[in-house]
Amino acid sequence: MNKHIKKLFLLSILTLFAFPIAAQDNFKLPEYTKFQLKNGLTIYLMEQHEVPLIQFRGVFPAGAIYDTKELAGLAGITADAMLLGSKNYAKSAIEENTEFVGATIRAGAGKENAFVSSSFMKKDQEQILSIIKDVLMNPTFPKEEIDKMLSRRLVEMDQMKESPRSVIGSYYNSFVYSAHPYGNAEVGTKASIEKITNKTIVDFYAKHFVPSASAIAVVGDFNTKAMKTQLEKLFGTWKGNSAPKVNLNGIPALDKSNVLLVNKADATETTFYIGGKGIARNNPDYVGISVINTILGGRFTSWLNDELRVNSGLTYGARSSFSPYKMGGNFIISTFTANETTEQAIDLALETYNRLHIKGLDDAILTSAKNYVKGQFPPDYETNGALAGLLTDMFVFDFDENYINTFTKQVDELSLKTSKELIEKYFPKDNLQFVLVGKASEIGELAKKYGEVKQVEITADGF
Amino acid sequence: MKKIILTLIALQCVMLVYSQSKAEDVKTFTLANGMKIMVLEDHTIPNANMYIFWKVGSRNEYPGITGLSHFFEHMMFNGSKKFGPKMFDRTMEAAGGSNNAYTTENVTVYTDWFPSSSIETIFDLEADRIGDLALDPKMVESERGVVLSERSTGLENSNFRNLSEEVKASAFSAHPYRWSVIGYESDIKNWTIEDLQTYFDTYYAPNNAVVVISGDVTLEGVKKLAKQYFEPIASKATPRKVHTVEPEQRGEKRVMVHKQVSTPNVLLAYHVPATKHEDYYALDVLNSVLSNGKSSKLYSNLVDEKQLVTSVFSYMPESFDPNLFYIYGVANQNIDAGQVEAGILSVLDDVKENGITAKELQKVKNQKLMEFYQTLETIDGKSNTLGTYELYFDDYKKMYTAPEAYEKVTVEDIQRVANTYFTQKNRTVGVLQNNEPEAQTESK
Repeated sequence: MNKHIKKLFLLSILTLFAFPIAAQDNFKLPEYTKFQLKNGLTIYLMEQHEVPLIQFRGVFPAGAIYDTKELAGLAGITADAMLLGSKNYAKSAIEENTEFVGATIRAGAGKENAFVSSSFMKKDQEQILSIIKDVLMNPTFPKEEIDKMLSRRLVEMDQMKESPRSVIGSYYNSFVYSAHPYGNAEVGTKASIEKITNKTIVDFYAKHFVPSASAIAVVGDFNTKAMKTQLEKLFGTWKGNSAPKVNLNGIPALDKSNVLLVNKADATETTFYIGGKGIARNNPDYVGISVINTILGGRFTSWLNDELRVNSGLTYGARSSFSPYKMGGNFIISTFTANETTEQAIDLALETYNRLHIKGLDDAILTSAKNYVKGQFPPDYETNGALAGLLTDMFVFDFDENYINTFTKQVDELSLKTSKELIEKYFPKDNLQFVLVGKASEIGELAKKYGEVKQVEITADGF
Repeated sequence: MKKIILTLIALQCVMLVYSQSKAEDVKTFTLANGMKIMVLEDHTIPNANMYIFWKVGSRNEYPGITGLSHFFEHMMFNGSKKFGPKMFDRTMEAAGGSNNAYTTENVTVYTDWFPSSSIETIFDLEADRIGDLALDPKMVESERGVVLSERSTGLENSNFRNLSEEVKASAFSAHPYRWSVIGYESDIKNWTIEDLQTYFDTYYAPNNAVVVISGDVTLEGVKKLAKQYFEPIASKATPRKVHTVEPEQRGEKRVMVHKQVSTPNVLLAYHVPATKHEDYYALDVLNSVLSNGKSSKLYSNLVDEKQLVTSVFSYMPESFDPNLFYIYGVANQNIDAGQVEAGILSVLDDVKENGITAKELQKVKNQKLMEFYQTLETIDGKSNTLGTYELYFDDYKKMYTAPEAYEKVTVEDIQRVANTYFTQKNRTVGVLQNNEPEAQTESK
């Protein structure tokens, strides 16, 4: 940044002070009701009347962290298999009845939880909720449909590796967490999927789709009292086992820099992650950390994007992010560049990141980032789907509406001094971990510069 | 990511509007320089947006400057008279705003999202780059690298991208839709700053744009700012029309692309008329009948029942000129490209011979209504949809008469358009697969 530009930049910041961003100060989470059924199922209800739609989202302790190495991918398969048939609705009935009225039902498993979500029109609520109830409480897991899904999944395991972007995250987690549950790839491996049977799915369902450790959020155009009655009637009789246990202790320490080189022989570019230890979602410093990450790699003018894209033209985009889990999480710098500029891009990413520790922030950049995160916050919670996701996240990650209601205040109160402390505490400085997906014959040598290299073939099973 | 090219998803506009939304809620005015501005007030959140639709896309290019529309989209962020290089983004983000842009075969669209209290800054920034763009040779050079990376990452990560480029190039022999929005690598490396300046002078005229603003604003406030910031920008001569008409295809075309993949990918493309054509609604319904949801014809038949493919979709972009209707399938294990193609054709033949049911037609109408409500949930959905109607249907109000247009679509119409357009001589078939001797196929 030359002086001329810097001066202009400061001027523009000062001008902006004349128009303080005040409108955001009053952004509060709309009112909602939270209650528990006798079986322990937690329910959140939030009325939103702008459009005649309703969003349903249920979360269950049935994510990939509950998978075993041998049956990796079982959580994801089980969630998907919920929609393959239930006591009162065959697979075709689930699909035709929902799609005919323009509704959707989706299911899936993430790292820590499985979800079932649905979007439908107000007028169809009775019909769709009764399908959701049957899917959740009485799935039949028909063998013929399961077999079809499993054989398709095996082929998709190979197909997804044709896109480095879609698999690099699984390689990263497997590399840094190894045997710890956070290392489990949601999609499993071909070898593990071949071992999954109807019985393993039925057992996993019984153990993990339990009301006492699950939550449902319904957001949209309904009357809270009537919806409460309706849900009590639908889900009140749901019986389930006790909450499943998983041991998330023992996250492996990152005591030296390592490199995983995933060889994709026909790659024309290198896709890479540089990462380290992150934070849990309910970390009290979550908001402050987000503001600082905005400066580093969370917006277009972030340092990483500015250096790697705007100044050098090495990539279409570079960013950094914190992916929080229940316990701990990841901090990741990610980008991609042509084979021949791989070393230059990695070095520049590291050099740019180091600025955070060496040079730190100044007032102008901190003010800009604070305005940015405040200004971009309300649209994040504009839709019924986003609000339902927020409510179930509160349940899963143990935080509450104070996150929304004090967001502006927390951002405003972030000082340079606190920022410095947060950088020191939360932005990993040493022992960074590298995952490079690219052409080993061209980038194998340079990879050694960053740590001890382990090389795998992208075509090999697993991550 | 910023400055994306939307070739595939394009504008998923929705056609049905019922009692919730009224044409009267949208206020419009035209500035003295010919710039049309549409305003939709919505005070749900303390934010607003500004969508500027420019009537320029890759159809306005020619060999030598292919990809320039998209490159230009990038250059609009790289400096103008008052706000030098980098200052557009820095100023906007410091004011709490963010932005993006996308380029298609037909249009270039710039999108700003901001807290409503920052609206004047947004007008100031936009007016400066529209009125006084300053092309900086250094920024042009670094941006070439960015766009080459964008092109390469698309090809690295998407088989559809690889195959559709070749299929377009074959399906069109004359019309500029034959090249990809991102352009040829050699053109990206070689166009000049003069090419960029000419493009700006030709197409970036206020009378060649439509502005849509939705959110926490008032009509009066927008009017005042528009007059102050946008009205002084001079209008320009109307750009010359794209007059090339693609000659009628006279026989099936076939394309083979070799790439390392685990199973073959197959793409069928049929010439179809422009969005303004009277068959648009029937084709749009047909598109949904074919591939919207698991009960759709292609999914239920090919993925579920016959297990020929692991995924399938169909797609028809909104388009100023006659364009293509795409059907894409990714083969299941041990299924060859020929079987995928035959499977897709059997579904199309079934529609041609037996039509669709009244229930299937009603399902699509219900799905369209659902999508419409989802569009109305966000201020972005509102702006994007209004602008899309204004450009592709010539009048945003047509959004409000679309229900009648859809109501008029009958099962007979669907069968008729299937028979009209899904013909052998009107199609191009593309296959992407490994370059391996096909021993098994040959032995058959």
